[in-house]
Amino acid sequence: MKSFRKFFVLCLSFVMMLTLTACSSGGGSADADPTQKTVKIGVLVSDTTSAEALSFRSYYEKYIQSVYNVEFMYSDELTDAAAEQSAIDNFIANNCQAIISFASSDRPAQIEKCEQEGVYYAVATGTLTDDQYEQFKSYSHYVGAIGPDLAAEYQAGYDMAKHFLDQGYTKFGMFTGASVYFTEMHIYRAAGMLAAMCEAGKGDYSGATGYDIVGKIMADGGNVSTGKIGSVEVNGVVSGYDFDDAWFGKLAAVANDPNVDVLLAVGSGQTAFAGFKPEGKMLGDIDCYTADSVALMESGTLNYLAGKFSASIGPIFAATLSAVYGKPVRTAEGNALALSQGYWIATDAEMAKKYFEVDSSTTNPAYTKEKLDTLIGASYDDFAKFVAAYSFEEIQK
Amino acid sequence: MKIGKKLAGTLAIPVLVLAVCLLISGTKGILLFDSQLSWITFIRAAANVVLVTFALSINLNSGRFDFSIGSVALLSSVISSMIATKLNLSAVWMLALSVLFGALLGLISGLVYVSVKLPPIIVSLAVALFYEGFAFTLTGGHGVSFANNASLLGFGTIPNYLLVIASSLALMVIVYDHTKFGYEYKALLSGQKVAVNTGIKEVPNAVLCYVIAGILMGAQGFISATSNGAITMALNFGSISPMFMAFLPMFIGGFIGRFTNDKLGYLLGAISSALISLTYVRLNVSSSAQQIISAVLMVSFLIYLNNEGKLKQLLKR
Amino acid sequence: MKNKSKNISAKLMEAAPVAGLVILLGIFLAIAAAKNVNIPYSFKNIVNQSIITMIVATGAIYIYTLGAFDISLGASMCVSALVGAMAYNATQSVVVMLLVCVGCAVLISLTSSVLASVFNLPVFVTTIAMLSLLNALSLVLIRVNGTGDVIQVPAMAVMKLNTVWFKLLVMAAFTALCVLTFNYMKLGRQQKFTGGNPLCAKLSGLNAKKLSIIGFMMAGLGVGLGAFLTITYAPTLSRNTASSVGMDVIISIVFGGMPVSGGARSKIHAAIVGALSMTLLSQIMLMLNLDSGISQMIKAVIFLAVVYVSMFSSRKTILPR
Repeated sequence: MKSFRKFFVLCLSFVMMLTLTACSSGGGSADADPTQKTVKIGVLVSDTTSAEALSFRSYYEKYIQSVYNVEFMYSDELTDAAAEQSAIDNFIANNCQAIISFASSDRPAQIEKCEQEGVYYAVATGTLTDDQYEQFKSYSHYVGAIGPDLAAEYQAGYDMAKHFLDQGYTKFGMFTGASVYFTEMHIYRAAGMLAAMCEAGKGDYSGATGYDIVGKIMADGGNVSTGKIGSVEVNGVVSGYDFDDAWFGKLAAVANDPNVDVLLAVGSGQTAFAGFKPEGKMLGDIDCYTADSVALMESGTLNYLAGKFSASIGPIFAATLSAVYGKPVRTAEGNALALSQGYWIATDAEMAKKYFEVDSSTTNPAYTKEKLDTLIGASYDDFAKFVAAYSFEEIQK
Repeated sequence: MKIGKKLAGTLAIPVLVLAVCLLISGTKGILLFDSQLSWITFIRAAANVVLVTFALSINLNSGRFDFSIGSVALLSSVISSMIATKLNLSAVWMLALSVLFGALLGLISGLVYVSVKLPPIIVSLAVALFYEGFAFTLTGGHGVSFANNASLLGFGTIPNYLLVIASSLALMVIVYDHTKFGYEYKALLSGQKVAVNTGIKEVPNAVLCYVIAGILMGAQGFISATSNGAITMALNFGSISPMFMAFLPMFIGGFIGRFTNDKLGYLLGAISSALISLTYVRLNVSSSAQQIISAVLMVSFLIYLNNEGKLKQLLKR
Repeated sequence: MKNKSKNISAKLMEAAPVAGLVILLGIFLAIAAAKNVNIPYSFKNIVNQSIITMIVATGAIYIYTLGAFDISLGASMCVSALVGAMAYNATQSVVVMLLVCVGCAVLISLTSSVLASVFNLPVFVTTIAMLSLLNALSLVLIRVNGTGDVIQVPAMAVMKLNTVWFKLLVMAAFTALCVLTFNYMKLGRQQKFTGGNPLCAKLSGLNAKKLSIIGFMMAGLGVGLGAFLTITYAPTLSRNTASSVGMDVIISIVFGGMPVSGGARSKIHAAIVGALSMTLLSQIMLMLNLDSGISQMIKAVIFLAVVYVSMFSSRKTILPR
């Protein structure tokens, strides 16, 4: 009887919920003058603990939030598409007018939901595929995507490997990260590295030499094989993020392999190799600028760093804010943004330190308010020109 | 039991595992122990696993399932590494701090358990969440990195790892087999109500168990951190995975414990596990394959353990 | 008189999880009103976010009642969803997808329970082994499917089912089945008896292995329905799908006042109360926009506090195990 009474109470609560659910409506109300009210922006993140994710968050929360009338609301770590949908629903319920997404489990579903609910949506540090862009480019609430496209990822890997190949190194070990989970970003970076080796070694990777290496890696379950590529050798490869004894053992084995002179990492190279690498071996990483990476460059442990600068997410914020203010930045055909952005590359400690000082500044970052203000309500051409000038020197001018 | 039989029973599993690992790697043309690095990898894995196995077994044998041991390792290593890097301390100091903070965190865990008197699994879930959150907040989510610190990274040598293993074994054997505390622990283990009725103070015994588990996990956190110079943060029970590596060694240890001291059994179980881990490294076995193999091994061994009598009868026929 | 007041206070303590739910609801509404949150939309979210955990946890009650627990429910749900999605892509039939999801989940649960029963293995350890196997299997399935790192069902195919009403209907049907079998049929009584006193139950002629198998099958049914609803909610599936469900189920069940050791005090509605409470707590943390670490610490304290109050009356003089 007592448990039935409790259940009855529960049912009453449910009825209340259902009644209220029947009156449910989306968020994102249109204001008469949006510039006067604090704009709430939800941020979807798939990673809350990496240095890159934290530096991005710092830029938004410590700089952007202090100079613009905006409030950022961050999701928890989103590991799958269902979590992304839930997070978007939460943001809408909390009256977020826009969502900036760093999570990519199911971008199409994110875009569809935001369009349905009248909330602006933008992709930061990433891009849509060509097919996806064609499908969503005319959506009124889809702001666009600014970040390294897959070609930029491929180029980043290519440039890094070439840097060492040009110095005469021919024996490599690689950390391919999430390539075994079919993460395209890491697969393209690894493919770029192998392409540079094919060029320098005058060989091929299982019959492929350029972009077709991507297909080879995918066909092999995201794995990269060791072997000779002409006169260049890949003598050790580790992948995944197991963080168990066997994984650390594999990393140590590759790092200490006498047949490996250079270690190349598609990401997290500092975590993977820095602690195991003996003196004299070279290490290149595609990651971000942190105090730790600068220290590693200064000590000679890290020799090449291609990093996304934390303010690189400034333009997509400006585009989003512009859209909320009723001045969306669209192409001449009225389509959403699709702009590529690359990396800052440091090949010595001095460069890394210089980049980090700007990158980590919460008062004078790479993209200040003054610079970003020029983007609000800007034409597509001006916006594209601004984003394309992403190198450190161009930004500092 | 004759000494010969005891020796055979004690060494059967680790020798069998070694033989199989040597055979498999041999058929692939690879030497299991081809360099000092292989030995370091093996002994480091053994140290990691034996510490977690000891820590888990202390409470699990008493029916206290503890999900929080991973978070104790995480938080103690975070605090000790932050202090060590700030004050430029040596690895030995960092180890001492890690062990100290591990003990303190274990003490807190134990005190919460005895105060709220809730099932230990529930307490451990709450403690794990709390410690993970605290570690995250302490580091701002950044974790700790000291890949540049040669002094801290330099701890990873064979003699140092062997010293840690030997110390932990000595601690466990002395405390649990040769002290009043240990006898009371065993009495509580085999008959809680009866033991309490005979006057054994269960609360301090339980708290001390958590403290000792904390000490061991503090050491494990230190070894894990100094192996690659970085500590990554975990949220939402991301820290519970280290616990799972201890189950197979525990079961192996339970079997070997019939022939010798059960703590030695856990160590030999950890060694067997470390040999398997080294084989994965040497043969570059993929993560999925590792998971499948480890799961099949554990279930197969358990099936044997729990059906030994029936299997012997079947063989006799 | 003393006994009467003792009974009343014991009953009050037992109602603590429900009271906790009501208090959390009150706090949620207060903060939501203060922050001008869209409350009707939030309620829809709460239903969406808690319903899968509710269904899976309700099925898992059968396992917990026996004094066991299953840590592989999340991985089982992931594999069932992946296989279900592959079945849809092969047949274009939502019904087939549902049947495959449920069938796969029940088969996985059956495998765990039969292994444990036939070979006398500790259930928990069997589920740990299953967790590893299923994690590896999900990677294999994705690889075999050959569509990158995800398996997708066309959103249009499941859009019509992605409604609160449908989910509530599924939940209501499953909960009704569970309430009927657990509270009004001998299965539930037998399970509670076995969980409370295995020796007595065995001597009374109850077959613990058979009950364990049936319990796991019920849990499998819940997992299968959860997998199906996951596909309708988010038709893009990856290796991380449902990764947090395993721990969410344990937390929900405990939060809802279910004794971990099972037995006579097991309640089928504990899962619903706990899942709703957990979701409300997450919503509150989100509205407060706290740092992830601080938010998690607060959740831990509240979790312990609620469970402490709900289990206060059942505490013994000796330490629980």
